[in-house]
Order: sequence, then structure tokens, then C-alpha cells
Amino acid sequence: MGFLTPWFLGGLLVVGLPIWLHLLRKHKTTPTPFSSLMFFEQRTQSSIKHRRLRYLVLFALRTLLLILIVLAFAHPYMQRKILPLTRSGEITVFAIDNSLSMRAGDRLGQAKRAAKSLAGGLRAGERGEVIAFGSRVQIMSEITDDHANLASGIDSVEASDARTSYAELTRSLRSIAQATKLPLDVHLYSDMQQSGMPANFNDLRLSADVRLTPHPIDSKPVPNFAVENVVAPRRVYDAKKTRVLATVAGFCNPKALRRVTLVLNQREIESKTVEVPAGGRAQVEFTSLEVPFGLNKGAVRIDSADPLPNDDTFYFSVERVDPRHALFVHEADNTHGLFYFQTALEASGQSAFAIDPATVEQTVNMSPAKYSFVVLSDVSGLSPAFENQLRDYVRGGGSVFIALGRQALSVSKLPVSGTRVEGSRYSGREGERFQTVGWLDAGHPSILKDSRWDDVKFYQTIRVEPGKARVLAKLADGSPLLLDEQIGEGHVMVFASTLDNLENDFPKQNSFVPFIERTARYLGRLNEGPPSVAVGAFEDLRSSKEKGAAVEVLDPKGGRALSLEEATRAQNIQFTMAGFYEIHRPNGQSEVVAVNADRRESDLTPVAPDNLKLWQNTAQGTASVTGTAEGEQKPLSLWWYVMLAVLALAGAESWLGNRHLAVDKEAA
Amino acid sequence: MLQQFLDPSVLASISGLDLIAKTVVNGFVAGLHRSPDFGFSQEFAEYRAYAEGDDLRHVDWNVFARTERCFLKRYRGETNTQILVLLDTSASMSYGSHTVHKLDYSRFLASALCYMANLQRDAAGLIVFDEDVANYIPPSTRQGQIFRLLHAIEKAEVGTHTDFAAPFVHFQNFLHRKGLVVVLSDFYADPEVIVKTIEPLRFKGNEVILFHILDPQEIAPRFREPMLLVDMEHTANSMEVSPEYARHEYRVKIDAHIEALRSKAKATGFDYFLMNTARPLDEGLREYLFIRQGRM
Repeated sequence: MGFLTPWFLGGLLVVGLPIWLHLLRKHKTTPTPFSSLMFFEQRTQSSIKHRRLRYLVLFALRTLLLILIVLAFAHPYMQRKILPLTRSGEITVFAIDNSLSMRAGDRLGQAKRAAKSLAGGLRAGERGEVIAFGSRVQIMSEITDDHANLASGIDSVEASDARTSYAELTRSLRSIAQATKLPLDVHLYSDMQQSGMPANFNDLRLSADVRLTPHPIDSKPVPNFAVENVVAPRRVYDAKKTRVLATVAGFCNPKALRRVTLVLNQREIESKTVEVPAGGRAQVEFTSLEVPFGLNKGAVRIDSADPLPNDDTFYFSVERVDPRHALFVHEADNTHGLFYFQTALEASGQSAFAIDPATVEQTVNMSPAKYSFVVLSDVSGLSPAFENQLRDYVRGGGSVFIALGRQALSVSKLPVSGTRVEGSRYSGREGERFQTVGWLDAGHPSILKDSRWDDVKFYQTIRVEPGKARVLAKLADGSPLLLDEQIGEGHVMVFASTLDNLENDFPKQNSFVPFIERTARYLGRLNEGPPSVAVGAFEDLRSSKEKGAAVEVLDPKGGRALSLEEATRAQNIQFTMAGFYEIHRPNGQSEVVAVNADRRESDLTPVAPDNLKLWQNTAQGTASVTGTAEGEQKPLSLWWYVMLAVLALAGAESWLGNRHLAVDKEAA
Repeated sequence: MLQQFLDPSVLASISGLDLIAKTVVNGFVAGLHRSPDFGFSQEFAEYRAYAEGDDLRHVDWNVFARTERCFLKRYRGETNTQILVLLDTSASMSYGSHTVHKLDYSRFLASALCYMANLQRDAAGLIVFDEDVANYIPPSTRQGQIFRLLHAIEKAEVGTHTDFAAPFVHFQNFLHRKGLVVVLSDFYADPEVIVKTIEPLRFKGNEVILFHILDPQEIAPRFREPMLLVDMEHTANSMEVSPEYARHEYRVKIDAHIEALRSKAKATGFDYFLMNTARPLDEGLREYLFIRQGRM
């Protein structure tokens, strides 16, 4: 037994306090006059009697209490011999890493052979289980004492394109230990990639009855090249304006030249040579992507000749489509708005929309149904027929953007939305020169997240009553500038100023182009996803309306990814392989999804041995690290016991003290 | 009707003894004594058949006129008696564990008794003594006697120790006429000696009343811790007293002393009454008079 902070033992001097209180404190000897002493006797004079120990038990309690408090501060401990954990009914778990990195060389084969060798050495009756893990854990064999079954489970482990997640493995081991309530002897066969470790080490905490024995497979740093990323558009409207940017990364590599090839529909389009620096990255740009109309499978490939060829190709899908048409209605004598709107869309890069301009008079016999969206730029006097068609168009899912200028003052209500016009506000020379934007709803798709409209000056705006519409932007005085209202299944956006540079200088500001481009995408319901996703990602297969309809999904190998039952019921699918998945949806639309393995798998740098040891030590009482069979000495803190005793004594002292006090009071 | 007794500390706050006496006595009407003889007074007692030799002046002629038989009308006679109050002023009487010490309490009691006697037109006198007679006011019914008595009581000062023998021998010389002798003392002496000393007064036909004045702390002392006590009558004497002794043995002894004094006093024909200074004075007095009336 010892003390962690022995200098606190000096506090034992405090014990003198109860000794003084009970033993040494003399009674008061101040003479007190009394009428007669004739009934007092000489024998009662003994002063020793007065000094006798009063309240012996209370004194003992107080002394003991102080001693224990001092002891608690001194933090006593005793050496405890920890006997090795008795592990009866132990289950041997063979955890085999089947992530992408295990495809390097013959890593998976080595892992399986090592696991089989150990499984063959199990004694009769000893139970085992085989699991394979990447980003998910798969049970390859149930817990069994049939060793042949274990061997076949090990054989059935196949390489995958998933990424390593030791956190997921640890979580599964914890749940297995919890479910079986038996100790686990886990043999981990993995290349021990550093990139597989979680950001939070706590995620690697093992249960107390889990003993982890890692078997690193070929865990030397190996040079590896990979196409880390490809930036390409999901849809191509104009092939000449399309470019593809590929990033080639090297891991543990010397400086080297690599040939990068752009492949489209299994046909090499263009090749370039790039110098990849040691342990660095290089970028290659392909300036045109001449793709045929429809769905196309693209890829960027390098000739790396390294042990892991699966990361040498990066897949992406691209669809060539015609631009969609949008109707731009303007007054015949005002084409400024058209000019700025069209220019802004063209300046945004891919022109997904073709603008069809029309004057108010031309719209009399037009139908908006064939357009992605309609823009009404400061117009009045729309024909009732067109206005009705617009209303039906919006209710059916179409979208209308209304820019308000002086023409709006001639009507009391806006077309389609019925928004009430309250008047105009003009900032002249005599008062404030202009108005600015006071607030923006950055959560709306038409507004760029970091967009700032602070510099935009508005000279004239139309005051409208927002009603049920969502206000997306407000002027500094609080009046609404931009509204979005859902009517039926469509949307009507109202901009309380014009799209030209007469009533504001918005078209001349940086924020105009992204606003127009995003608004057009929002109104035209143009939702372009990424050109590729990672292995493990999910994709929605059907909407709520398409319940029961079959979805056909072909995996990269050409097989059906879903069973017949799944094809009619599954809401989504998880991509488990790198390559192209073809999805044929119930509404007749087809889609090609490019799936790539997580490029963190390309970094084959192993975990530092110290970290590995730390992981093993997260299981309490693990003897495998030190290998001591006889147990070890470990200090056992007695602090809690001392504090519990202090609490008990304090309660007893309080009770007894109160009792004596009550007696004294009664006597008084 | 609820009787609000007068707390000794309240009485102590009243400055004049006459006022104190008035306050105490006005609360009740019973006299201190009553004559055993029938006499002439206004208080009717009974009718008695005429017997030969009776004074005809006492015949109730109205009754004779109605019944033609002679009846004598008898009245309860009230006699004037002599009351002598003996006030002990020894040092021990100055002890008090609260605002009113024993001497003050005795003063209040003595003044109340004198006032009461004055109301009954009795001759009241006072002897103040400790080891000797310190003051003597002979009993008298003269005008202003009450004020002389009250003045003497007020001026009574604490003396030395009690010695019953010397002053009581002295009293006997003063007492020429039998009457009522009231002794106010804490009686810190052997009960045998006390009774032996006082009993000659009884033999002379006096009625003797002993008021034993004691402080509550003397009857049941409670010390929280050991005390060094100094005898007030013999200051050289001091003694360390433990609370346990005071709580147990002392009580036994003082109770035995009180009981011995009471029994010996009763045996000799004295009236004995223990007055605790913590009790309201009028309450104690009332209780005593009630007991006394019951005997008469």
C-alpha cells in the first residue's frame, strides 16, 4: 500500500483538534457565587472528573473522520495482482480485409492463406467465425466448431471495391461480443492501411473481452499511382465548350511520367503525358469532349504498372442533350432585359437553355407548355388567353419569372400569381440616391450561398404585397425584392425591379450572372448530379408515385444488381462495385451512373506500429500485447472506499453530535 | 375568570413597594387571618335559640314578633391582631439566577403582607435580621405605619450570614402580645436548629408562618459544565461542582432539607410554605392563603 500524494499526510495534525476539544479543553474556573454550599460535598471537587473524556464515541468518530479525510487527500492505493483473464468459451474470429487495397498484388490471397493456416490449428471443439470487412462487415461463416466450414468461409471472401473502415470492424466486434457474451480472440488479416483508421480514436475502442491480434499483410509502403479525380460535366449541351480535368496522384512514389488517356465509350479519344512529382499530384486537361447525343460512358485512364491497377481508371458518365427552350416575353420597345438575361445565361458556361424571345403581342396565340420556364420582363396587357394558359402551365408544374418595372404600375395585380401591386418607390436626387439589399435567403437554390448583393443599387422598385409567397430578398427598408410562390406544382418568382440597367445596376454586378444561371436551373428544374459517385453511395430508384413498378439496374459486370422482388420494392440501391451502373426507371428514363472506388484506398501506407498497439490496448485486460501469463501488478486506488467511509462517518458524527446537542439543550 | 399572575420581573420593574404591594394584594380579597370568636360586627353568622342568661340585646325582636319565640342573632366577630414580619437579609438572600433575587422577592412578599394587614387594620411590625437584628419596627396601627414599614423594607440591605439563634432570642423580648409571626428566609441552617430556635414563639401563643424563599437554581441547579462555586455567606469557601453532582446528589439533599423543614415545622405547629422566586408572587400568596383558609 502506498500514497500517490503522501505530502497530504501532514494534514494528520488536524487530528489534534478533536483531542483539544474533548480532552484538553479545560472547564471554565471563573468563580460563581452561590447562596450556600451546605449541600455540596467535598468529594465532588475532583477536576479530573471534569476533564474526563466526554462523548467518547463522538471523539473517536471525529478523529477517525479527520484521519480518513487526510488519507483521501493522500490518495492511497494498493498493488493488485491482475490475473490473466480466464477466457472460457472463447470464439476465434477471423477478420479478413477485402477492401480495394487488398487487390494490390496477392494481398487477399496471403490473408486467406494465413487465416486458413490458423483455422486449421484450432483444437477440436474450439469455435470460430469468419468475417470480411471493408466499409461494411460481412459474416462469411456463422460461429461454428466445424473447421471445414470456417475454411470454406475464408475461401469465399472476395475482393471488393470498398474502402477499409477499422471503425466499422470494431463496432461489429463490439456487437458480436455483446450478443454472444463470450470472449473473442480476433485475428485481423489486413494490409493495415493508415487511411482506414477513423478520425476519432475512440471509435476503435474494443470491448474488455475482445483480444485483438493483428496479422499485417505485406505492410510495406508500396509506390502507387491513381487517377484521383475527374472534373467533367454531367450533361453536355455544347461539346466545344466542354472540358475534362483529371488529377493524377502518386503515393510513396518517385517522380515519374505517366500517360493519361481520355476514353469515351471504350474508345480512346485523347492521350497526354504528365509528370507526377514524388508523393504529389498532377493535373491533365482535355479541352473538348465530342460526345454523341445520349448517355455516354467516359473514363480517364493511366498506365501506372503498379501493384494496384484498380485505381488507374476513373469513370464518369456524361449525357449529350439539346438545350432546353425558355420563353422571354418583353415589351416591343424594351429589349434591354432580354439582352442582359440572354448574355448572363451564355456567360455561365454550359448554355442549358435557349431563349425564345417574344413580344406581348406575339404571345396571343402562343402556348407556354413547351417551354422549360417563362420570363415576363416588365410587361403589361397580356392577353387573357395567354394569361390563362400561363396559369394552367404553372399549376401543371411550369415556372414563371416576373420582373417588375414601370409597366407593373398599370395593373393592380400581377398575372398568374395574383400578387398585389402597392406602388412604386423611386430614389431620386433629392432624397436617398438608391436602395440596397438588406437581407438574402441564402437557403434558396436561386441564390448562391456566398452571394453578396450589397453593391447592387436599386433606383426604382415596385412595392408588392408578398402574401403567402416566400420572401427571398429584402431591400434595406424591409420591402420585398424577390419572392417565390408555389402555385399548384409550379413556381412563380417575382423580382420587384427590372432585368435591365435602367432601374438598377444589377446586370453590371458580379452577382447577376450566377443569379440568372441558378434561377434558370431552378425554374427549369435542371438538377444535374455529379458525373460520378463513390463506392458505397446510394441512389434513389423510385418516387412515391412509382411504388410497385419495376426498376432495372445493371451492375458494371452486366448482371442484374437487384432480384425481381427487389426490383419492384427497393427504394434505393447501394453501389458496391466500381464501374458503370445502368438504371432503367419506371418512367422510361435511363441513367448511367459512374461509380469509383474511394481513392483513399490508393494510399497503401500502413498504420504505425504504435498506433496498432494502442488499438490493441483499448481492450482492458488484454494480455496479448505484453504476453504476460502470470499477471501483473497494478495499483488499485482506494480513494473511493475512503470517501465512502468518510461519508458514512460524517453522517454518524452528525447524528451523534445532534443527539448530544439535544441533550445539552434539554439540560440548559 | 382567568387570573393573570404577576411575574416577579414585572413587579421588579415597579419602583415603589407600596405600589407593588397594592398591585399584588388588590388581586384578591381574602384576609390573612380570621378570628375564631364571635363578636360584634356587621357580618351575620347564625341564629340560636335563646337560653337563660343570654344578653337580651342580641335577641332578634323581628323574629320574636313573627314567631313569638326568642332567637339570638350571632355575628362573626373580626378581631385586630398583631402581625410581625421577620425578614432575613443574610448574604445568601441576595442570590438570584434571574432578574429578581431572593431578597427582592422577600421584600415584595413582606410589603404585600404588611399592606394586607394594613387593609385589615391589624398592627403590623417588621424585624430585619441577619446574624443580628438590623432593624425593628414595632407593630402598630397608627397612621403612617404602612409607610414606615415599606420604607424599612425598601432600605433593608444585604447583611452577612444567617444566625437564627441570636436574633430570635431578641425577638422574644419584643413580642409582648400574641399574634402572627411571618418568617421570610432561605433557611440555610439545620432544620432542627431552625425549629428549635423559633418554637418558643409558638409556645407563647403566636401563630408562626415560615415562608421558605428559594431560587429555582437552588431547588434544581443545572450546570452545563463544571463550576467553581463560592459561598455567598462565607466567601472563603469555594468548591468545584460537577454538573452531574448538581443534577443528582444535590437535588436529593435539598429536597431532603426542604422536606425535613416542612415536617418539623408542621410537627411544631408552624405553617410552612415554599416560595419559588420564579413563580408569580400573587400566585404563590394566593395558593398559600387558599390552603390557610381551608384550615380555618
